[in-house]
Amino acid sequence: MNPLRLLPLLITIPAFSQSKCTIHGTIRDHSSGEILIGAAITILQQPGSGTISNAYGFYSLTLSTPRSIPAVTTIVASFIGYRPDTLYVSLPSDTLINIRLNPGDTQLQTAFVSVLKKDANITNPIMGVQKLSINEIKNVPVLFGEKDILKTIQLLPGIKSAGDGNSGFYVRGGASDQNLILLDEATVYNADHLLGFFSTFNSDAIKDVTVYKGGMPAEYGGRLSSVVDVKMNDGNDQRIGGSGGIGLIASHLNFEGPIKKDVGSFTISGRRTYADLFLHLSKDTNINKDQLYFYDINAKANYKLGTNDRLYLSGYLGKDKLGVSDVFGLQYGNTTATIRWNHTFNSRLFSNTSLIYSNYSYVINLNNTTSAINLTSTIRDFSLKEDLQNYIDQRNTLHFGLQTTQHTLIPGVLDATQSSSFNSVSLPKKYDLESAVYFSHDWSPINALHVNYGLRLTDFSIFGPGTFYSYDKAGNTIDSTTWSAGHIVKTYFNPEPRVSASYQLAPSSSVKAAYTRNVQNLHLLSNSTSNNPTDLWIPGSNNVKPEIADQVSIGYFKNLDNNQYELSAEAYYKTMQNQIDYKNGAQLRANANVEADLLFGKGRAYGLELFGKKKTGPLTGWISYTLSRTELKIDGINNNSWYPARQDITHDISIVSIWQASKKWTLSATWVYNTGSAVTFPNGKYEVDGQIAYYYTQRNAYRMPAYHRLDLAATILTKKTAHKENSWTFSVYNAYDRSNPYSIQFQQDPADASRTQAVQYTLFKIVPSVTYNYKF
Amino acid sequence: MNNRSHTLTTIAILLSLSCKKVIQVDLNNASPQVVITGEVTSAPGPYQVSISRTVDFSDINQFPPLAGALVIITDNKGMTDTLTSTIPGLYTTQRRWQGTPGTTYTLHVTIDSATYSASSTMPYPVQLDSVGFQDDARIRKTKIQAVPYFRDPAGIHNYYFFTETINGVPRNRDFIFDDRLSDGKYIHQPLNDDSTRLQIGDNLLLSMSCIDSAVYSYLNTLQQNTNPSKAQSTAPSNPNTNLSGGALGYFNAHTIEYKQVIVHL
Repeated sequence: MNPLRLLPLLITIPAFSQSKCTIHGTIRDHSSGEILIGAAITILQQPGSGTISNAYGFYSLTLSTPRSIPAVTTIVASFIGYRPDTLYVSLPSDTLINIRLNPGDTQLQTAFVSVLKKDANITNPIMGVQKLSINEIKNVPVLFGEKDILKTIQLLPGIKSAGDGNSGFYVRGGASDQNLILLDEATVYNADHLLGFFSTFNSDAIKDVTVYKGGMPAEYGGRLSSVVDVKMNDGNDQRIGGSGGIGLIASHLNFEGPIKKDVGSFTISGRRTYADLFLHLSKDTNINKDQLYFYDINAKANYKLGTNDRLYLSGYLGKDKLGVSDVFGLQYGNTTATIRWNHTFNSRLFSNTSLIYSNYSYVINLNNTTSAINLTSTIRDFSLKEDLQNYIDQRNTLHFGLQTTQHTLIPGVLDATQSSSFNSVSLPKKYDLESAVYFSHDWSPINALHVNYGLRLTDFSIFGPGTFYSYDKAGNTIDSTTWSAGHIVKTYFNPEPRVSASYQLAPSSSVKAAYTRNVQNLHLLSNSTSNNPTDLWIPGSNNVKPEIADQVSIGYFKNLDNNQYELSAEAYYKTMQNQIDYKNGAQLRANANVEADLLFGKGRAYGLELFGKKKTGPLTGWISYTLSRTELKIDGINNNSWYPARQDITHDISIVSIWQASKKWTLSATWVYNTGSAVTFPNGKYEVDGQIAYYYTQRNAYRMPAYHRLDLAATILTKKTAHKENSWTFSVYNAYDRSNPYSIQFQQDPADASRTQAVQYTLFKIVPSVTYNYKF
Repeated sequence: MNNRSHTLTTIAILLSLSCKKVIQVDLNNASPQVVITGEVTSAPGPYQVSISRTVDFSDINQFPPLAGALVIITDNKGMTDTLTSTIPGLYTTQRRWQGTPGTTYTLHVTIDSATYSASSTMPYPVQLDSVGFQDDARIRKTKIQAVPYFRDPAGIHNYYFFTETINGVPRNRDFIFDDRLSDGKYIHQPLNDDSTRLQIGDNLLLSMSCIDSAVYSYLNTLQQNTNPSKAQSTAPSNPNTNLSGGALGYFNAHTIEYKQVIVHL
């Protein structure tokens, strides 16, 4: 029983002393103290009114017409997967009310169902947004049984997988480097582990993820097509506990507890794969010396400094090690750290200040009997952010702030021994300052209309020292200028207007429209279509202009059966400027003149996304369908005419279903189908110096075979007490053993020299796995 | 720096889990294209130019020779030689001359009313000191690789091209190297190959050539075209040719030096 429900807060102050009063506070899980993001606070007497807790669980609700409110107002706090709580507040008076909700079934509280603000998807003007909590993804079957938030978001409409063995994904026609991936506000530059088999996000440490596919709020910027905002757990502030899992390929362990009960908590999660142990078992003496593993650690702590202040520290460290014997090695990983300070100036003004560090680097080692070579590349960020949220009243919320990031890019340091065939070189470092100021206004002029408009002003300044080159069309250097340290070589200034609106047609349906401009100043160059840890990040320069995307979208949203079902249809049209490709044979590694090999052009993407979700009940899940087109027009490619981008996938279907069959058993299945990606195949062949060469006419004129796959999982809860929980998960990836194409190669027939053949490679056939999970 | 080997090794790890099958792909046919390959070397002539046409992917590997072309090689010192053909599609120089480093040669081909041309400048030679061998047993299978030893001249961008003839049989695999990251170094890079070809006791004839940058660019992009890695590489395309007029192939004026060695460890 929640004591708050038994103890109504009766605060008696004369009724007409002020015209406005505000209640504010933080909403948390009752037993763990985890803050609840997006929980709803509603006034029982005013259906449809209310507010939603922010990323720190903070809410502020201003009641502007005390005359119409009875002396004691009933406030209902609710969150999906939790029992709603009722608070009795005597108004008017500014009041601090911290709320803790108990996990449980929403369905039980039928008395309040009609007033609960569970229809945020209808009224929220922001469109193209999808939120998944770790609870929603924990039963979705995945490869090797390793829960993966990035793989799961690829089952949502408009988000397309880049294929097997690849954590990369495409949002509404954008390339995989156009996704801003944030972990507790820190940019994650490479979200892959083991070359894409897994993502960097350990689901033990993650609270939830929000994906913005368009219409992103003004506080986000820096990438063209999406924002993937991943939030880490805060740690249990009531008792020490933990959880863990043992799988076929990886094990993980999480430990959390209070630093001081109700005041501060910590959590630490670790994960390590042991695929390399299988290599060690190999009889082949060459293979058993190979390395192939990753580990990662997530840690977070928070501490309440006073009624109005709380400090958060969070960090991530991940490392992948791949090695072929001692001849070749590749190590890469991200490190991030975030310090955040929440301050409540008053009941309506919430502030967060963040200091953020992010680092991504890789090292390649090549050794032979006589020499050794190391190639290192790094990107490092220091950021400062100040974000303010002003909850003026129920109709107006202002959000404004500034952020500035210093980027240091070390494109390549080649360290070779004296006896090596190579010289040691160090490409000049690159320094850039990316700053933005923004504001947005969440405005509801009438009950049915919600508008969010805002503006983000982005400044990207390229600093010396360094020599900056200009190139002609053929890539020859025509001019160079050398600048000293601190000199601003070039500044790109871009306004990014954003507006979105929702109009409620009925209590359970709405139409929405949005326009968004996004600007991207850091670009990833890759010489393969799958994301590679050694892909090269380059900043904007005198040659490389900011990528700019303009997107308009419209949508229809409807909830059925007391918000149990959520339906939506969204259509978008997007244009992209200054898209980057590069010349045939471009050298990306340790090349000071890499910009000479780049080609520029534009893109366009449009599509329709249909989504249906069942949110509650024993059977939950969703169906998503996307119909879309993405095309590029790059100077110097495909005779300068439009061609389908690789991420042009016409049809994309995902079906996810999770069935709570009994108290013990949970069964789940996902099925995905998508049109094959656009590829370039030869139209002819010829002979050069005794070898068969292939003749190509058009870029991406062909299609890979369609991709489809069924995954199944069954989880049995073998033990469940108040704090302990043991379960086994059995899963099968690619259950009907479909040979999905990873790549198709054209080659001479080894059996018949007079013939050529096409060979299809498949990465994963049927993959069964078992995982044991425990909580203590 | 041999990036391809990084990528390939990385991919080899990846694909140890994969499986493959031959499939039927429905490919469109393209109108036949002219393919011209020709060379001038620092060894005495005669030199040959071969002209053929492309065929459809599903056809057998017989490439129709193109007879009746007017083929001329000139140099920037006033020499002109009109090639003649006895075997269809194969054109041979007529005058007695030998390619010299520093000279720019131009190939002119006229077929019906279409003209194609390419120029290539023969670089100055670099001395191949010796050929050694390296047992790369540590990467997967036991694999013997030839290692050419030579000093790269400092201050010039040099491009190299190697071929292997094993027991009299030419290998249809070229090796290229450039000194972008090795200027002035003593070079001993193994000629890396995915397949196991060299055996102890084999008679290896190794050729080393210095080529110009356009030819290097052609051969570099040709390798991506003919030896794609198993991973999905970015969109494949036709190699960067030095021929104008829309023909496939290339024209190469290069030095040549041979070393014959018995394979040993």
